[in-house]
Amino acid sequence: MKLPVSWLKEYVDFDDTVQGLADKLTFSGVEVEGIETVGGDSAGRADPCADEGAGTPDTVLDLEITPNRPDCLSVIGIAREVATLYGSALKWPVVERVETGVPMDSLTRVEVEDPQGCPRYTARVLQDVVIGPAPDWMQRRLTLAGIRPINNVVDITNYVMLETGHPLHAFDQALLQEGRVVVRRARAGETMLTLDGEERDLSPEMLVIADAEVPVAVAGVMGGAGSEIRATTSQVVLESACFDPLLTRATSRQLALSTESSYRFERGVDAATVEWTSRRAAQLMAEHAGARVASGVVDLYSATVAERTVTCRWEFVRDLTGMSIQNAEIEAILSALGLTSLATDADSFTVRIPTFRADLERDVDVVEEVARIHGLDHVPTKAPRAEIVPGADYTFHRSRADLKAHLVGLGLREIMNYSLTAPALLDLLNPDDRERRLVLPHPISADQSVLRPSLIPQMVETIGRNHARQIPEALLFEWGRVYQWAGAERQETERICIGLMGPVGRGSFDKRSPVKPPEMFGWMKGLVSRLLEALRIDAWSVGRLAHPGLEAGPSVEILIGGEAIGVMGLLRGDVRREYRLSEPVAVAELDVEALLQHGGRIQRAQDVPVYPAVVRDMALVVDADILHADILRVIRANADQALEQIQLFDIFEGEAIGKGRKSMAYSVTYRSPNGTLTDEDANVYHQRVKDAVRRELNVTIREG
Amino acid sequence: MVMDQIEQIKEEALAELEAARNAEALEAVRVKYISRKGLIPGLMKHLKEILPEEKRAYGQKVNDLKSSFQTKLDEKQAVLQAQDTGASAETFDVTLPGEWRGVGSLHPITQLTDRAIEIFQTLGFTVASGPDIETVFNNFDALNHPPGHPARDVKDTFYLDDPNLLLRTHTSPVQVRYMLSHPPPIRIIAPGRCYRRDTPDATHSANFHQIEGLYVGEKVSLADLKGDLSHFAREAMGTDTRVRFRPHFFPFTEPSVEVDFSCHVCHGNGCRVCKNSGWIEIAGAGMVDPNVFKAVGYDPDEVTGYAFGMGIERIAMILFGITDIRHLYENDVRYLAQF
Repeated sequence: MKLPVSWLKEYVDFDDTVQGLADKLTFSGVEVEGIETVGGDSAGRADPCADEGAGTPDTVLDLEITPNRPDCLSVIGIAREVATLYGSALKWPVVERVETGVPMDSLTRVEVEDPQGCPRYTARVLQDVVIGPAPDWMQRRLTLAGIRPINNVVDITNYVMLETGHPLHAFDQALLQEGRVVVRRARAGETMLTLDGEERDLSPEMLVIADAEVPVAVAGVMGGAGSEIRATTSQVVLESACFDPLLTRATSRQLALSTESSYRFERGVDAATVEWTSRRAAQLMAEHAGARVASGVVDLYSATVAERTVTCRWEFVRDLTGMSIQNAEIEAILSALGLTSLATDADSFTVRIPTFRADLERDVDVVEEVARIHGLDHVPTKAPRAEIVPGADYTFHRSRADLKAHLVGLGLREIMNYSLTAPALLDLLNPDDRERRLVLPHPISADQSVLRPSLIPQMVETIGRNHARQIPEALLFEWGRVYQWAGAERQETERICIGLMGPVGRGSFDKRSPVKPPEMFGWMKGLVSRLLEALRIDAWSVGRLAHPGLEAGPSVEILIGGEAIGVMGLLRGDVRREYRLSEPVAVAELDVEALLQHGGRIQRAQDVPVYPAVVRDMALVVDADILHADILRVIRANADQALEQIQLFDIFEGEAIGKGRKSMAYSVTYRSPNGTLTDEDANVYHQRVKDAVRRELNVTIREG
Repeated sequence: MVMDQIEQIKEEALAELEAARNAEALEAVRVKYISRKGLIPGLMKHLKEILPEEKRAYGQKVNDLKSSFQTKLDEKQAVLQAQDTGASAETFDVTLPGEWRGVGSLHPITQLTDRAIEIFQTLGFTVASGPDIETVFNNFDALNHPPGHPARDVKDTFYLDDPNLLLRTHTSPVQVRYMLSHPPPIRIIAPGRCYRRDTPDATHSANFHQIEGLYVGEKVSLADLKGDLSHFAREAMGTDTRVRFRPHFFPFTEPSVEVDFSCHVCHGNGCRVCKNSGWIEIAGAGMVDPNVFKAVGYDPDEVTGYAFGMGIERIAMILFGITDIRHLYENDVRYLAQF
């Protein structure tokens, strides 16, 4: 809200600079977001109420009024705050008896059909109005406050709204059917041309002001063009009313129409001062629009505002704020705020809440008033009291922190993508999960319309984006939630996604040759292995997987005891090509809960072996379809207990070996826990292994 | 006599070691002197010729020789090896790039979140979490947002196909969940992702992160809030960081405050980062509204509590000087490598 300082000074005295005033307001809850200097040129018009003379600049405060303080949405409202803060008196405008005309009853009639939607409606009639420009000072104040001057009658309604916080409306009575007003719900199918030139469809959820036949204003939101004040207007019906906040908000929302008026009604106006405001406006119309004010007023006030009192313990003020403040200081603040003291004793006080402070209902609300006026800088900075609360569980975070440290230690860089993503991206990676996707009914855009069911699609997109920016390699991970239907349940789970692009597993003198698929798969598998190893998960295996986004061969699920805890594999070629990725890209996705559940247990220590080991090598030439796992299985099944480790150290394919065959070289370590293993013993064990391999797999052993 | 022999072997051994010019020669020296059947171990054979009272000193001397010779041998070996690789002191290119893969890095949002968690954990706060898909009750009703409250509007909040469900607009529903399942006292810190129907621009993202703190107990006050946030400010932004409160309004706290930290760049003197105010708005906070306690079954006459919430992206932007919130979600490796 824009507030010209010179206008404020009409209602309250304060001996301070503008900056000083701004600080006081900000630190008592009315935040001054900006101080603007306007005008100062020769065109600047004189303001009779300003300290400054004609042509001098005016200062405008830009205020942020919190939604609980509709009473501050006016110059008088802020003046009331300023009066409290500076201990000065609020100077109300003097409204003298202005009704000089014929009795009101003979001129119009008002009906309120929906007293809940409109708890109070007042109308006055102004005759012999002469439409013209409003006085310069009024126009200038409106302009400074951000409202465009139109004509004296309209400007006065706006001026009084800014002054008092009560929105008003003026109708040209000649344009009202039968010259009368009905406050009612709109009828289905009714439409109205509003002042902004839009034809509005009305509905029965909306409250309107109608004449004998048709709606002439959307109550509390905007008037209709049909009854607008125009140059020829001579008789005006002046509305000052109070409309239900929720109803006004719903209507404003439905029409997508927010106005100075709806803004105030939505937050709540003080029904008690509706009639005074009408008189204030009528006075100005008499002064500045030549109006003769009909005597009397229509005032339909269905439910007068109930008087509210609040009781609060003195000690509660000190306990909740931590401030050391004396009872007398508390009393002084409440009194300055217009909270009338009704009773006090040693324990507590009771105050009457003024009608303009609908936000004060409970003791805590009163405590806040005391705190903000006393000043929050009086809240002491208490030394922190560290305390472990019974039942506190620190393991949730610690286990995750450990896992995160492993990922970083493995060289992975964390990325972060939005939870909302594009269906087209998901389709590219996995059209099969469409049924499981959680789709937002009202997204901002199609690009962010689905909750991600997997972290892989955006990982791929991220890799593609980096590749497009000429970044040669990336080791990335994302830790985030995925969302999907699991039967009738909406499931939300935490996952880790890893993505590799480029020659990430090679030294810097070896980056040039193209990355081959087995190499890339090997890096990913190695990374996942190291991660599981770090978590002390050793009993895991891989199983073949059919994933629409991954290559058929190098794609597996990761199994712990038969339970799939994740997937890894190489991106399918046509998916890669969408991002112009010519070389293999590896992705993996793992379930965080499963990792934490299976991992991180405390390991029992074992002594390291004291006797030396004997190592024997062998190179096996086998058919290409024999897997490493097959060879391990045979070796393990046939080795002596002294078998300690089997390590594959070379794979070779080529003409020397023959087509459809490959050479796999293993080094096998034997060791006895009971004594030094002799060469002879080791040879016996190793021979047994070689015999078994030869017997069970179609293999030639090259050397041993 | 035999003692002299030790000295003699020592002299010869060192001379031959010195003379060795390549690995083979060195190996020959090693075998000759300290292999199992070498001359130095061989000195032990003379032990029987030694007077009983001198045996100990003799043995000690032989062992000393053995170890000092081994050390010299190792040194010589290192020197020869360096020469073998052809690298003399002058041609060994120490300016070649090193070869080791770097450690990774955490996203700045994670770094800040973890830092905050760490600091509050020292005060006894534990991490609590809740789902992104929340109930309207937990996100609004229980937090004193009455029906018709503007924040509940479909134009500000993402609702799901079930109108009782939404993407949480703040981390505060974690407070509700935690209080519903734990009796007081409680101290929790709840980081998480939140969603608002904001059109993305340099400072808005429909998807952002908050961290929420809640402390409920007997006679918890604004002074505790100020004390704990001051501790956080000093730990997170520097030891001379100060904290101030400004009155504000939030539906779920009363009194409500906005929390400013003194600017970490100019230390409160005023600069571009703090728009010359010397202060930076960091958090919204306040004393838990009694209506929230009622909604979760706590007795507002028995307990009070404070709550605060901070936007992580906002703090990241201020702290790291990030010019556009979208940079945080672009995931350019070069950008992320800076943090």
